[in-house]
Amino acid sequence: MADAIAAPRGHRFAADRALALISFKRRLAYKTTWLFSITFGGWQLLVGIVVWEHIIGAGSVGGYDWDAMRAYLLIGFVTSTIAWGGADWQMANRILDGLVAIDMTKPVDFQRARAAEYVGGAASVLPTAVLGAVAAWFLFDPQLPVTPLAGVLTVVSILFIFPMAFGVGYLSIMLCFWTRRYLGIQWAKDGFVAFFSGMMVPLALMPGWLQVLSWCLPFPHFTTTPAAIYLGRVDTLGALGLIAAEAAWVVVMWGGARLIWRRAIKKVTIHGG
Amino acid sequence: MPILEARSLSKRFRRPDKGSGFKGALKHLVQRKYKNFTAVDAIDLSIEPGESVAYVGPNGAGKSTTVKLLTGILQPTEGTVRVMGRDPHTERIANAHDIGVLFGQRTQLWWDLPVEESLKLLKHMYGVSEADYKARIERFDELLGLGEFMPALARTLSLGQRMRADLACALIHDPKMVYLDEPTIGLDISVKDRLRAFLRQLVDDGTTLLLTSHDLADIEEVCERIVVIDEGRIAYDGPIEQLKAHYITTKAVNLILDGPADAEALAEKFPHYEWSAGEASSEVTATYESSRFTTAEVLGDLTAQLAPRDLSLSEPSIEDVIRRLYAGELTK
Repeated sequence: MADAIAAPRGHRFAADRALALISFKRRLAYKTTWLFSITFGGWQLLVGIVVWEHIIGAGSVGGYDWDAMRAYLLIGFVTSTIAWGGADWQMANRILDGLVAIDMTKPVDFQRARAAEYVGGAASVLPTAVLGAVAAWFLFDPQLPVTPLAGVLTVVSILFIFPMAFGVGYLSIMLCFWTRRYLGIQWAKDGFVAFFSGMMVPLALMPGWLQVLSWCLPFPHFTTTPAAIYLGRVDTLGALGLIAAEAAWVVVMWGGARLIWRRAIKKVTIHGG
Repeated sequence: MPILEARSLSKRFRRPDKGSGFKGALKHLVQRKYKNFTAVDAIDLSIEPGESVAYVGPNGAGKSTTVKLLTGILQPTEGTVRVMGRDPHTERIANAHDIGVLFGQRTQLWWDLPVEESLKLLKHMYGVSEADYKARIERFDELLGLGEFMPALARTLSLGQRMRADLACALIHDPKMVYLDEPTIGLDISVKDRLRAFLRQLVDDGTTLLLTSHDLADIEEVCERIVVIDEGRIAYDGPIEQLKAHYITTKAVNLILDGPADAEALAEKFPHYEWSAGEASSEVTATYESSRFTTAEVLGDLTAQLAPRDLSLSEPSIEDVIRRLYAGELTK
């Protein structure tokens, strides 16, 4: 589709920036919800700390002793905050309410515009992730990354969560063109992300076949990959391989979404005014 | 060369054919049935630059679907559309730079942010320069009173303010072709007047306009040409004045007599007029064919013989004509 033939490049980036910024501002417009998400995120981390300390005690589970698990939980807190930070339902509502009709009268690529909005919205949770991580660092004294390079690669792998979370969210909302509902899709998507990423339970504790299945999906990169790099469960080459896999998933999901959009756009059936 | 040209444009939708109730819903789960529904049926439409066209029809006639086809939102099932030489669906982004669209029933404002933020975002989307943006905002403020609610959150606006802000959003990039889908829906008379004056100014400035509305005053005040659509097909396409001249062939004199008015007796006395009783017993209306009699002749005739206490003249409105077109009483 000729959607890609657009305005001059400078205009496109200006539009991306403006969309990301407006999405960020929209999140901050609801300050109570924003503060609640910070509090709730911190509460989840505290519960995780208490439960896993009780389970592990002085021993280890799935190769994680208590020092490693504290670091794992802290990374899980940061990654889950970013992964749930985008507003899939906002994108879904644009399709379900017919506002996609208005989006299609604007000189911007639909997918790119939603990506810019998503990143802007997700960036609004960065203070939650950073403040929570710093507070937890002082409270629970987790172990440091195995090497400074591992620390840098961990940050890179975490940054990839933004486009990956958009990819998963955007692909899920595309289904609304066929289902006309999002709630069930969102529950399924959130369940897949939480379970197969290792956010709920580290993948190392799952049966071998389930771990193999998980690694065939993009979800482990939402928590297990950054944690594995940070804790030295993979060497530098392995870390770079995992980051390359994240990049590949971003490209595959972006391209796949483009293909689905070409079919989805034919399903636009906005009746009446 | 037309700015917009549609040839044999059709759009069919597939709708689920469910039985009623829970049983029908269950049956549809295992045995899916669909019905084809034709919203737009082989329409030919050509609009020249600078024209102001009213696109009218009863509810469900296919007006909004046509607008969505012309703006590139929907892909036609059959036929072609060209807007400034482009296919608006496959060349959507390039087309979007040159068109402005307002859907009266859907807002393009970001609901939880000030109006100003929405307009600034659109400035970036369309690549409008700072100088042009400022000049247009000033003009919108002058004509639409935009300044008074620029800092207000969109969700706090009244319907009239919301519509004015949406109109500014649709025009911030100075589009060549503008589609307005029911821009005055739900507005009070003063806001309607303000919007109509603004639209007249827009047309005078040379913008091409396609307007759908159920309010025929919008049409008469803003547009020169009217396209009437019914059941997805064009029932009339021509100048509004021609529609009036072609279909408004009668005029009427409303009389108030001193005593009771008997329409039947008057019909016997003046058989070349058509008589009908008015609301009060002393009121009566004489309808005559304007091609046979001049108004002066009719007035002279009736005042001389009936000596009415008062009288007034009336002619069928464009609304009456369109109502009769919808009802199939008139054909082109």
